[in-house]
Amino acid sequence: MLAHQLALESPMVEAEMVEAMEFPELANRFRVSGVPQTTVNQGAGTVVGAVPEENLLAEIMRVVGNHKFA
Amino acid sequence: MANLLNEDVKIQVREVFAQLKDPTQVLFFGQKNECEFCDDTRQLVEEVVELSEKLTLEVYDLDEDAGIAKKYNVDKAPGLVIAGRAEDQILDFGIRYAGIPSGHEFSSFIHDLVLVSGRDSGLSGKTRDFLNKLDKPVHLQVFVTPT
Repeated sequence: MLAHQLALESPMVEAEMVEAMEFPELANRFRVSGVPQTTVNQGAGTVVGAVPEENLLAEIMRVVGNHKFA
Repeated sequence: MANLLNEDVKIQVREVFAQLKDPTQVLFFGQKNECEFCDDTRQLVEEVVELSEKLTLEVYDLDEDAGIAKKYNVDKAPGLVIAGRAEDQILDFGIRYAGIPSGHEFSSFIHDLVLVSGRDSGLSGKTRDFLNKLDKPVHLQVFVTPT
């Protein structure tokens, strides 16, 4: 599980798997239409689908505004 | 209550658990009211941790143990934290589940236990470099369904 691998690697990252049908309000808030869908920093970024490491990383980079690693 | 894991599944999980390395702790957070999946989640995790001596479980209540829930940033029930354990210390890596890890998520849960017990993310060098330089908190929520 990629998000959990990131959390294990970095103390700055926390990652929660959310069972969308048990928490529909949260899923609606982030307009979850398909799974898996990853929300970065409460909606600042979104990645739809199971994506490779570099795609999720690119979205995180975009959100934290850290372009020097891109 | 009947077992949630049948013998075939237990055998498969035990095979995967042969890869477990360091002690790993699951923290369960339930809630008394309006928690449809709390009892099943707790039972499921109890049955899983029984399959290896390296796994332990602590059971909490989101309301009665509000301080502990806050410490681990758990705000939903059922909530799970997969953490490392070293002596009496709990090593929180920020790895959590909200909701029952069943169906497809059951296999993610099992592999997360192995991942945490190894204390190695297995990520690429490039990704590790980026994460090492990360100076802002990143909060990921991965929405999933059991099927």
